Amino acid sequence: MTAPAWLEVLNETLDACRTHGRADLAERLRRRRDAPTGQIRLGVLGFPKQGKGYLLNAVLNAPVCAVGDAATPAVPTEIAYAPEPAATLVGRSRERIPVAVERLTGELGARPAGTLSRVEVGVPRELLSAGLVLVDTPPVGDPRSPRTAAALDLLAEADAVILVSDATAPLSAAELALARHVRTWCPHVVLALTKIDACPGWRAVAERDRAMLGEAGVDAPVLPVSAVVRQAAAKAGDAELNARSGFPELLGWIAEQAARPPEQSRALLAAVGVRAAAAELVESLRDRVDAVAQDAGLGQAALLQRAQRRADDLRRQNTRWQNLLSDEITDLLSDAEYDLRERTRKIVNTIDRTFDEGDPAKVWDEFAPWLDNALAEAVDVNYTWLADRAEWIAQAVAACFGAQYDRALPDLRLDGSGLEYLDDVGRPKIEKFKIGQQAFTGLRGSYGGVLMFGLVTSLAGLPLINPISIGAGAAFAAKTIKDEGGMRLQRRQAVAKQAAQRHVDDVFLRFSKECRDAIRVVQRRLRDHFTGLAEELADELTHERETILAGTAERERRTGHIRREIDRLAALHQRAGELGTIAGRQQRRELSA
Amino acid sequence: MTQDVRDLLHAAAGLYRDDPRASALLHDCLNRLEQPLRVAFTGAPSSGKTTLAAALGEYPTRALRDLVLLDDPGPADDVPDATVRLVRHLEPDELAAAHPPAGSAFARQSAVNSVLVLSRADEVGAGRIDALLTAKQLARRAWREDPLCTGFLGVIAVAGQLAYGGRSLRDDEFDLLAAFAAVPREELERHVLSVDSFTDPAFPGPIPVETRRSLVVRFGMFGVRLALTLIRTGCDDRVKLSAELVRRSGLGELRDTLAGCFVARAEALRARTAIIRLEALLAAHPRPGGDRLVSRVERFAAAAHDFRELRLIADIRGGRTALSGEPAEEAVRLLGAQGTTPADRLALEPDADPDEIYDAGLDALRRWRHEAERPDRPHAERAAAHVVVRSTEGLLSLFA
Repeated sequence: MTAPAWLEVLNETLDACRTHGRADLAERLRRRRDAPTGQIRLGVLGFPKQGKGYLLNAVLNAPVCAVGDAATPAVPTEIAYAPEPAATLVGRSRERIPVAVERLTGELGARPAGTLSRVEVGVPRELLSAGLVLVDTPPVGDPRSPRTAAALDLLAEADAVILVSDATAPLSAAELALARHVRTWCPHVVLALTKIDACPGWRAVAERDRAMLGEAGVDAPVLPVSAVVRQAAAKAGDAELNARSGFPELLGWIAEQAARPPEQSRALLAAVGVRAAAAELVESLRDRVDAVAQDAGLGQAALLQRAQRRADDLRRQNTRWQNLLSDEITDLLSDAEYDLRERTRKIVNTIDRTFDEGDPAKVWDEFAPWLDNALAEAVDVNYTWLADRAEWIAQAVAACFGAQYDRALPDLRLDGSGLEYLDDVGRPKIEKFKIGQQAFTGLRGSYGGVLMFGLVTSLAGLPLINPISIGAGAAFAAKTIKDEGGMRLQRRQAVAKQAAQRHVDDVFLRFSKECRDAIRVVQRRLRDHFTGLAEELADELTHERETILAGTAERERRTGHIRREIDRLAALHQRAGELGTIAGRQQRRELSA
Repeated sequence: MTQDVRDLLHAAAGLYRDDPRASALLHDCLNRLEQPLRVAFTGAPSSGKTTLAAALGEYPTRALRDLVLLDDPGPADDVPDATVRLVRHLEPDELAAAHPPAGSAFARQSAVNSVLVLSRADEVGAGRIDALLTAKQLARRAWREDPLCTGFLGVIAVAGQLAYGGRSLRDDEFDLLAAFAAVPREELERHVLSVDSFTDPAFPGPIPVETRRSLVVRFGMFGVRLALTLIRTGCDDRVKLSAELVRRSGLGELRDTLAGCFVARAEALRARTAIIRLEALLAAHPRPGGDRLVSRVERFAAAAHDFRELRLIADIRGGRTALSGEPAEEAVRLLGAQGTTPADRLALEPDADPDEIYDAGLDALRRWRHEAERPDRPHAERAAAHVVVRSTEGLLSLFA
């Protein structure tokens, strides 16, 4: 035997409910599918103090349910046929505690809330003998209360529902909402209008209730009843009075429910359940589509705008840091050269002063270490200063990136200290005026003097070599030696100066070359470092934009998915509607995506 | 107390001189201090507000002559000084909805201006003849045990229709009821089972259906049955029946509560309304210099003893203190539950000799001071006794 069509539709809807996170709806459908056959469950639902207990007792002609000011149990009571009256408390973990029927109310009051799941009562009543089960539920109230949830739980298995509202006032908005909800899940609903014995205006209330139910699209008959009259009729055995209580109509309706062919009934209930679940699911899915659309509309534009703003920022940043770096490096080059030149100029001045006065032959040994030191110091200071400036430039450029700069600066330490480019100054060739040279020079000067004064004195009859000429010779010799010594000193000084200056120039040339190279290295390192950073940022941005755009696509894909789901559910809804029609009932509205 | 409030309102009027709406509000507050207390009847539709207000209001008694009863005022049109809240069932949902919205700290601490009424008490228990008794027990139990009923000056079951019908019982109606009561009970029983049977053409006797209908509309099926029982058991004239119906309706208890908690405290309740409105104004439109006014309002609120008295009365009567029996009765009397004059508080004749009053006051003060200082009592009890001491001191201070 193939599975009935309703089972297929129901299973499909059940899966959809589970997929979309509505375990509650899935559970309801599951219970509807697995409902025991051979039982007709008739639920009684209503707000507090509407006379539910009185109604049920009057239906059964037995004091089964707690009435009046006694607290109503927070769990459902299932009343079924039993040859002898019996009551059983069913605990949370399915344990069964039999109690005497007359002690039921007391036993219920004594149990702490939440320990029971339901109460089962058996009564020997003809009405129930064919498998009818009446289910008394906790009063409906605050939609968040567990009592309300326990009452509405009934809808998963009920074949028909009696709504109870008293005749003291027309249906409240909450009661009407309850009626609508019940009718969505259960096709057979009746409104029992209780307490008509006490309310002079009950006919008007009944009319009002009929009109309200009609407007709300709830096709439920309104049956006015009076438990008090029914009770009096039972006591007096008065059939006419019983007819006036309104209960014969209600019992007729109940018998109608019990007499319905079970397979047709199941199909219809399944169809109604599927339609109710599909409608609820579609509603929550629509909410999700709306939420996603809102999310996308607002979020994506803002995100893209932000990304665009960041790209613009990045472009401006790039120009700024590149300009800054090249300007700073140019400045550094000229500053470094000027500084070095200034320092060497001072050294050269000192060299000049030293050799204008001093005799290199005497001072060189002292001068050479000084010069080496002075040059070393100049180079060292210049080099340190250079490193500091390079560091500063790196920081200035990094500042262009603002808060986005979150990494360490590149290593700008210059190789060595600059001192390795220095040689010691070489000693120039300094010729000294030695004794032999002095004697020879003296002889050369004295020879002229002797000869000159010898010739003059010979005129006076003196011999060529006489004391005067010898004296003159000696004087001339001394002067010549002196003159010759002076000339030699000047020459020595010039040589030393030249040698020192050449050394300085040499150092300057070589070192300034090194400096320029070092600065270029710094420039290159900084350029590479910051270009890398800028590229990374640009990549990040591109990636972000891609994510945003991909997110939109993903959202659209999801929305599309949900829309298709809605369509699928709408189709299920329609199929269930057709099943319902086959089961003998007209369905009205259809869903659409 | 009223003078303090008046000063505060004048100071506020100076502060808001240039704001026409605020000025109008403050002016209204000042005027209202001179006017009768406004008591609003609120509750869900068809909870019986109009009937109850009519039963209380159309037949003014001396005790309630200084009240204006407002039948379900809108939230904005009028600010009531006190409220009678009607619920049809003492169900958690309805009780939760009956709680007034919380305002400022002062509004909460002085929220001793509501009485809860279980209305249509004759419908309790499917209109059995003991419906009113059951309803009264339910109300008392709820007041003592249900935390949702804390803060109400009373939880009172009232059958508004019965009260109104009883008060307005006409001679012809009494004659009709007496005629029905003369019919043997067994014979009548099935005809008073329901509205339909009572208005059935088959009803014995020559009374037209319309007359019977109007009777059941006026008194309700329960009222008719009760009246018949009462006539049979001795209420054999209109005045007696009328009084008995009203007595059983619970209206008297409500009236006494209104007289003791609202009328006697009219000055404090009017002052409360004015202070709460002033607080709201100061909070909604702060002004430089308003701080001083706010602290003056706070000082006033902290010193207002009436609200402490009312709250303690409600607590003692609602069974929320350890006091019971004779001491409880004396405490609520000293707190002014039966009238706020010294003689009322000390249970003396209104024309009692001042010396007698003074001695009685001194005696009460000594005893309650002892209670307030007993170290073996829990703090809450001593605090309650302190309030009584303070009330007694207040009444003695009138003789200083």
